[in-house]
Order: sequence, then structure tokens, then C-alpha cells
Amino acid sequence: MPAGRIFSTFLFAFGVAALSLVGPTRAADSDSGDAAAMTEIRSEIRQMRAERQHDREVIHSLELKVQQLETKDSKVQVTTQQLQNTDQKLKETTLELQQTNVQVKTLQTKVDAPVASSQFGDAFSRYLGSHSFTVTGAAGGDFIFDQQSGALDGLHHASQNSFFFDWEPMILYRPTDWILFEGVFSAGVGNTGTATDVSIVDFQIFLNDYMTVVAGLFDQPFGDWYENQSPMWVNRFVTAPLPFGVEPVVPPSELGVQLRGGMQFGDLGQDFDYTVWGGNGPGFSSSVLGAVVSSPTAVAFSQTNGKSIGARFRIYPLPLDSGMGRLELGASTYNGKWANGNWYNSWGVDFNYFTGNLQTRGEWLESYRQMPMGQAADNRQGWYVQAGYFLNGIDVPGLPARLDDYIHRFEPLVRYSGVNQRAVSTADIQAATGVGLGGTQVGLVPDFGINGSPATYAPHSREVALGLDYWIAPSIVWQNEFDIELPRAGGVFVSPTGAQTSAGSIPNDHAFLSQFTIGF
Amino acid sequence: MKKIFAAILLAILAIGSARTPVLAQEDISPAEHKRLFREGAQLWPVYCNTCHNARPGSEKAPYEWNLIIMHMHMLGNLPPQDTKALLEYLKGG
Repeated sequence: MPAGRIFSTFLFAFGVAALSLVGPTRAADSDSGDAAAMTEIRSEIRQMRAERQHDREVIHSLELKVQQLETKDSKVQVTTQQLQNTDQKLKETTLELQQTNVQVKTLQTKVDAPVASSQFGDAFSRYLGSHSFTVTGAAGGDFIFDQQSGALDGLHHASQNSFFFDWEPMILYRPTDWILFEGVFSAGVGNTGTATDVSIVDFQIFLNDYMTVVAGLFDQPFGDWYENQSPMWVNRFVTAPLPFGVEPVVPPSELGVQLRGGMQFGDLGQDFDYTVWGGNGPGFSSSVLGAVVSSPTAVAFSQTNGKSIGARFRIYPLPLDSGMGRLELGASTYNGKWANGNWYNSWGVDFNYFTGNLQTRGEWLESYRQMPMGQAADNRQGWYVQAGYFLNGIDVPGLPARLDDYIHRFEPLVRYSGVNQRAVSTADIQAATGVGLGGTQVGLVPDFGINGSPATYAPHSREVALGLDYWIAPSIVWQNEFDIELPRAGGVFVSPTGAQTSAGSIPNDHAFLSQFTIGF
Repeated sequence: MKKIFAAILLAILAIGSARTPVLAQEDISPAEHKRLFREGAQLWPVYCNTCHNARPGSEKAPYEWNLIIMHMHMLGNLPPQDTKALLEYLKGG
């Protein structure tokens, strides 16, 4: 019960008690006055009761209001708490929005910024995995006309003209960053129909910066031709120089192991490199004088258990900054046994120089073949020099720009090559010899990259080749070649039985070759 | 003789295997990337043209240049730093 209410009740009771005690005393004084006083007192009492009732109602009303206010205050507190919670959430959401906005801006910046090709390349490389694979190589089609105006040791001769095609894909496969597999295959339509061949199959193991091991079947790393110049889109001419054609002085390939590398010895561009190798060794088509040399030799017909060893050293003496061009000087040797202990020795020197639009290269090589049964040695020599000049540095006054652009794509070339040997085996002329740029040579018939001229089989063959290349792209070329065969007299032809006839005079015939080649 | 040859061969392989190959993946700084790219641009028309026409980097994908330059490092007996520079240039920096 509230204190105000208790106080009111107590006051009322006290008043009634007081009046009750005073009333009889005054009655004795005056009855009429008492009656009036009593009436007045009763009236006052009623009034007080009414006021008390009113006070109670007021108090009750106030209590109700207080309760209502208390209820409202509680609601306000709840609402305030809710508002505070909402405010906190809003602050958190705002912070998250700000962070998201920053992230979006960052992403937008990254999206807008160009991706560096190296980054894309690295990402793509990771996508491809550590094992990678690609196909390069070359394909070409050619047309060959050969005059064949005269006889060669009584062999049939007739003017020749034919189309040929050859496709030589090179497969490179890299399982790790220190091993590479290389395979070069050829498939062509030649003078014996369609044919396939495997010319290179090897593993390359990169031991360190200066040492690489190559194991398998590879181009002979002798001089510059077989390894670097024989691919059809690399060779500026359609044919090979005579020492690397139908009567090679050094075997074109080897089955064995190489160790090789290069290093800079001075300023940028001043380099030195080495290649040493060993293999199954040379083989010859027969034991007669003048038999064609070949390699690799099938193990069952290797003629010897002796192995070959070879070495090549090259130097590039001119610094890049000298502005004097690029010069390469090289020396090679290749030696091995054939036919149960007879030695085959060879050596050669080569050069390559280019500056601006001029490029020249050349090679000299000699071989010595020890013959069985006391026969005289079968010695051979070969050489070639060639030069080419790109016309892209020449502007002809008065010509329209379009015509000038055509002229800039031409490269005129000239090459002189020759072979000296005491004898040539007629069996090699008539039978497949397995040499050439992409097929096998049979008789006096052209093949892909081989003009088939009788004069190229002369013991003292000489050839002047004139070329005119039209470069459509750095590795797409239309090549035209005119061969002037100028064989010297001398030497002998040797039959399979060993019978020798004098080579006598051999006709100076001509050949024309046109070839379209794509290096891919 | 054969034993000596085999011993020399094994020694060469053992010595050779002790070092990292030239084209091993390695992290290099952006400044080194730029330096190699500039050097590669200088070497590309000279080294490639020594044997054949220099082919532009756009002809092959970067991952193909990894293989081709690995092959040319062997075939041309290229010095290691020059090989790296050529690869950097042909892959487009």
C-alpha cells in the first residue's frame, strides 16, 4: 500500500476518535448548539469522505498513469535497444560494403589492366603441365627438269622432268627442363613412288649450361652442312652442294652419342663451341674403289666392330657491337674403321660470314679410305662456296611501291661446288644409294632435291648453281635453281666385280629445279 | 682403353649433372627480364640468321619456344646466357 494512502486513513480515524470524545462534553453545554455542530461535523465528515474518495480515485488514476508510463518507458527502452542494434548492424553492413567496394575496385583495376604476355604464357604453361610437345619441320614440292644430253659409261640417259613432294615433320617432346626428344620423319613421293624414312631420332640431355649429351640417330655434326643447312627451308638452293649430294665425302648421319656445348669467351657475340661424338662408324656400299659412303650402318652389315670418333670446333671471333657482321670458322674430323680394321679418316674446314644483306659460306673436306687387299687408298675431296644477297636493301628509282616490294623479296644466289675422287662405283649410280635431301636416289633419275644429272656422278664433278629465291615469309620460299654441270675428265668407273673403265669425257648438261617450301 | 673411356664418360656425366641446366625454370626479377629481352632483341637477328632466316616470336606460342630454343641451344651450341636472352625475346618479354 502506498504511504499517502496509509497516512490519509490514519488521519481520518484520528479525526473520528477526537470528535467522539469532544461531543458529549459540549452536549452538556448546549443541546441545540450541539445538534448544529454535529450536523456540521457530519457534513464535514461526509465531505472528507467524499474528498478521500476523490483522492483515492485521483491516486488510482495516477497509479494507472504511472503504470502506463512505466509500460511506455519499458517499450521505449526496448525500442531504443532495437534501434541501437539496428544502428550497430548498419555500421557493420556499411563497413562490409566499403570493404566490398575496395575489392571490386581492385578487381576492376586488374581486369582493366592488360595481362602481360609472359604472365599469360606462364599460366598457360602451368595449364599444359611439365610435359610439352610441339611439331615443327618443313614440307615442299618441286619440279625438276634435267637435260641428260650424253651417255655416262654406257648407262641409259634421257631428258627427265617430274614433280616431287616431301614432308618432313620434326617432333619435339620435353618431359622435363633437362631432357628433349627429337624425331624427324620424312614421307615423300619420289622416283620410286611413296616412301617414308626416319632421319633423326635422339634424346638430348642438358647436363648443365655447357654440356649436352645427344644419344641416338643424328645428323653428322661434321662441318656446317648436314646439321644446319640440310633442312629444305634452310638450304638456299634446291639441291645440296656436290660433296653432300649423290657422292658424299663424309657419311650424312651417325648412330651414337655426342657431347657438345658452347660458351662466350669475350664480348657479346664472341663465342666458341665444341662437339665430340662416337658411333657405329662408316659403312660403304661395297668393297670396291669408289663405293659410296653411308651411315648409320645396319648392325648386321656393319662390316666391322670398330667404332667411330669425331670432333668439331667452331669459333665466332667478331663481337656483336663491332658492326663487322658475323663470322664463323670451324674445323672437323671424323674417323673410324670399316671392313674389319681398315681405317676411314676425314677432316674439313668451313666458314660462314654474313653482314647486312650479304651471306656467304663454304666448306672444304677430305677423306682417306684404307682399302683391303693392298689396293691403293680411296681418297676423296670436296668443296663448295656460295653467296646470296637479299634485295630488300635496294630501292629502284621510279618503280611503284608495290613492284618495289616484290623486288625486295628476291634473293639471287650463286654456288660453286666440286668433288674429286679416283673412282665411282657404277652399282651406286644404278642402284638406290640412300642419300639425298629426302629420298633415295635411283640411277640417272631425279628425286626430291636431286637433279639426277649424269655429270654429278663423274669422278671429277663440278657444278655452278644459280639460284633466285622469292621469300614470301621468313620460312616460306619459292626457290628456282639452274644447274650448269661442268665435270672434268679423269678418273675411272668401277663395276661391281671391280673392273675399271676410264671415265673419259662426260657431257656438260643442265638442269632446272623449282621448289616451293614451307618451314613450319 | 675401354675402361678409361668409360671412366672419363662417367666422370663427365657426374660433373655435368652437378649443375642446373640452362633452361631450368627459375624466378628472375622484372629488371632481369627486361635486360634479357633487350639482349635477346640484339642477338635474334644475328644468331638466327647465321644459319637461317630469323623467324618472329609471334609464329609460335611461348610454350613452343621453350622446346624450340632448347633444341636450338643444342643444335647451335649457343652460350647459356644468350640462349636465355633469345628465349625471353621470342616469348615476348
